[in-house]
Amino acid sequence: MAGARGESGASGSVRLRTRLRALLATGEDEEPSVAVGLLAAAVATAVLSPIAWLVLRAAEVGVDEAIELVFAGNTLSVLLNSVALVAAVTVASVLLGVPLAVVTVQTDLPFGRFWTVAVALPLVIPSYVGAFAFVSAFGPRGALSGLLAPLGVEIPTIYGFGGAVLVLTAFVYPYVFLTTRASLLSFDTAQLEAARTLDAGYRDAFRRVVLPQIAPGVTAGALLVALYTLSDFGTPAIMHFDTFTRVIFVELNTFSRNHATLLSLQLLGVTAVILALESRIGPGEADGYGARSSTDTVVELGWWAVPATLLLAAVVAVTLALPVGILGVWLFRSGPGYAAGGLAFEWSFGLNSVVVSAAAALVTTLAALPVAYVSGRSNSRLAWLAERSTYVGYAVPGVVLGLALVFFGTRYAPGLYQTLPLLVFAYVVRFLPQAVGATRSSVLGVDRSLVGAARTLGARPRTAFRRVTLPLITPGLVAGAALVFLTTMKELPATLILHPTGFTTLVTYIWRVQEAGYYGRAAVPALALVVISSVSMLVILRGEDTE
Amino acid sequence: MDGDDGSTRRRFLATAGVAAATGLAGCNGLVGSDTSGSNAASGTVSFSDFRGSGPLVESRPEITAPRIADLPDLSGELTVYLGGGEGGLYRDLMALFERIYDDFTAVPNEGGTAEQANKLLTEGENTPADLFWSVDAGSLSVVADEGLTADLSGEALEGVPEAFHPNDQWVGTAGRARAVPYNTNQLSSDDIPESVMDFPDSPAVANGFGWAPTYGAFQAFVTAMRVLEGESATRSWLESMMGAATEYPDEFVTSNAVADGEIGAGFANHYYALRVRSARPDAPLDLAFTRGDAGALINVAGAALLEPSDNTELAETFVRHLLSAEAQEFFATRTFGYPTVEGVPPVGGLPSVGELEPPELELDKLSNLEPTLDLMREVGVL
Repeated sequence: MAGARGESGASGSVRLRTRLRALLATGEDEEPSVAVGLLAAAVATAVLSPIAWLVLRAAEVGVDEAIELVFAGNTLSVLLNSVALVAAVTVASVLLGVPLAVVTVQTDLPFGRFWTVAVALPLVIPSYVGAFAFVSAFGPRGALSGLLAPLGVEIPTIYGFGGAVLVLTAFVYPYVFLTTRASLLSFDTAQLEAARTLDAGYRDAFRRVVLPQIAPGVTAGALLVALYTLSDFGTPAIMHFDTFTRVIFVELNTFSRNHATLLSLQLLGVTAVILALESRIGPGEADGYGARSSTDTVVELGWWAVPATLLLAAVVAVTLALPVGILGVWLFRSGPGYAAGGLAFEWSFGLNSVVVSAAAALVTTLAALPVAYVSGRSNSRLAWLAERSTYVGYAVPGVVLGLALVFFGTRYAPGLYQTLPLLVFAYVVRFLPQAVGATRSSVLGVDRSLVGAARTLGARPRTAFRRVTLPLITPGLVAGAALVFLTTMKELPATLILHPTGFTTLVTYIWRVQEAGYYGRAAVPALALVVISSVSMLVILRGEDTE
Repeated sequence: MDGDDGSTRRRFLATAGVAAATGLAGCNGLVGSDTSGSNAASGTVSFSDFRGSGPLVESRPEITAPRIADLPDLSGELTVYLGGGEGGLYRDLMALFERIYDDFTAVPNEGGTAEQANKLLTEGENTPADLFWSVDAGSLSVVADEGLTADLSGEALEGVPEAFHPNDQWVGTAGRARAVPYNTNQLSSDDIPESVMDFPDSPAVANGFGWAPTYGAFQAFVTAMRVLEGESATRSWLESMMGAATEYPDEFVTSNAVADGEIGAGFANHYYALRVRSARPDAPLDLAFTRGDAGALINVAGAALLEPSDNTELAETFVRHLLSAEAQEFFATRTFGYPTVEGVPPVGGLPSVGELEPPELELDKLSNLEPTLDLMREVGVL
């Protein structure tokens, strides 16, 4: 340490700084400092580290076995299934999420606030609970088919590709809705006015002015949807549709960890392709403009308000009323036959969920800040790499990530194993991109000339960041933290594997009673989960508007 | 400390004696839960606390197996990995032990059976767990095969038939028998064939038939069939059943559907029908068992001492408690499982373990699931 302060150490560190600066720099004035770049790289390395376990384990698999598995008959169909599912769910979510965001932000829709909250809320429903609800409603001998059968109406089977697309879209499209909405809010409507003064119709103006501006938000949401779809296990399993996650889960249940490992590596390969594709088709660096958030009405709906409201009502009925209604049915069916277990629900489980989710949201947001800032401010390869690598953990199935952290925890951090910090770290690895995505698009929206002005007026970079940039990106930070909070509340597989002994949360309790067949017992915690998450969603949406 | 312990122990013994007497009088259910259920904090635990109440618990015969009072004390902290756990009932049982012994703490860590086994394999020598207690023999065997379990002593295994501790690396704590729940309004016991292989052409499937192929117990059953009857016989059995069978998400739902008359019969672990009956005593539901084949498989929940633990002595004493008359009565009357200790009969008019004719198959073989799933996928059942 003392040596490092000596002269030769100092000149060494200067050289290092210069080289790093060269690596990070693209020649623009307001480049993030080396320290921030290093911080971003450190975060990326930390969240990638569990993946090393996969590679280590894969290396243990015999070559013959590996070849046999990779070329096995069903591997290709699993790959095609996964890709088809990801593509269909992503497209459907964009087609649903973007119009909903535009309608709720830029029109004079009656009860606009109510609809904003209602269409964002399906995100709080865990997709496995949603899938169960859809199956109980639409499945063979389900509640709805039972009601409709005497009328001669037959519901097509919910199982398979169509059902999986329907259920996943129903519960993940809010990602696109929320990120698009955030972009729309920070979009300066004066530009739209200008375009329209120049005689462009709204549709034309939307395509030429609005769309390019909100494209980063839309693609950020679409990427989250795509990777969530790739990593979700519950829905494909319940819908009987073979994807990577379902097959990996089955392999782990048969104790074939080798196969599960190799399949996980293939899954990571698909993730890499998606990330590369996204950065190809995604928009380049969109220049930020002075962003005053705006909820001004841009379009008056007139009689279009009726079909718009009907569409919103239909979406809310399917994605929110239906699953909550089914939970209610479970609640009232909870006669002795459905609640014979010895496991009592305690409200402290809800408190545990809230505490661990809040911690995860805080830590994840802090970790996201340097990554998002560097990637939003710099065109360097390193910045790009740091941002991309945060998405990898998001696409790894929770069980695989859980086992990776079991391995690292027991060997290299026995003091942390089965403690809350390690669990929170798992959530950071899983959900960092949600915070990075939301924060990055608000960093992109910050007018650089404002920062430049602050610097001209003599503010040091740190001061300029604190007084100009930070307030401007706060909505993005809050939105990211909210997303992380919500998704942590409902995360199941990694929580099951890594939760500290004796630490029960809402979802681990739901899982436990559901596995024992006591569906009635799952209703109260599931509803509690939905209510707590809804309250936080309300707080977030309100905060966004008043910024 | 010692004095405290002793008095707790004496109180427990006294209460247990009284409970046993009322049990003989035939009205233990109500009396037991009224007197001791309310004073949970006092540290006294009676036999009827283990037994519970309900229509299936009435008129239990006298239990002749060794009592907790005959065992060494539990003392210290024990980390127990639970695979499954019967919807919280295993935690309840551990809480009862904690009430008997003031300085005993059981620290449960829950997950699915395969999940906990995979976790143990990944943790290896560094596992913080002392005991693995799982509701599926396959998961216990996988952990044992990896060399992570320690030998159970002969003293602990006394009174447990050898089938439930094939290599002394784990011991069955409660059995779960494959069974055929059938609707008594639609079928009689004569309609259920004695061999599971005869099902496809039998009257048992005529009124609709339910199964839950994604359920672990069903997959273990198909594994048993594959081992016993060969792959091609299993394939054609699956193919010919497929047309008639309705798929359910799990075997509790299957058993309920039988009771509702949606289907005439189904495949399910035996205790699901008992759960349905304990909630709906009038349900037209009964159980049939096939003989000597995969359809009569008895899988077990069991416990294994973990070799890396430096607490194996306590872990073994705990296992002996799981095999006590009280705990066995708990498994029989609350989880409706088959007791694995001689002298404790099953509930609800079930045939005793001796009367069942399970196939000759070592339960270890059930861990070889991979070919079963391949087969089920090929046929299109999964």
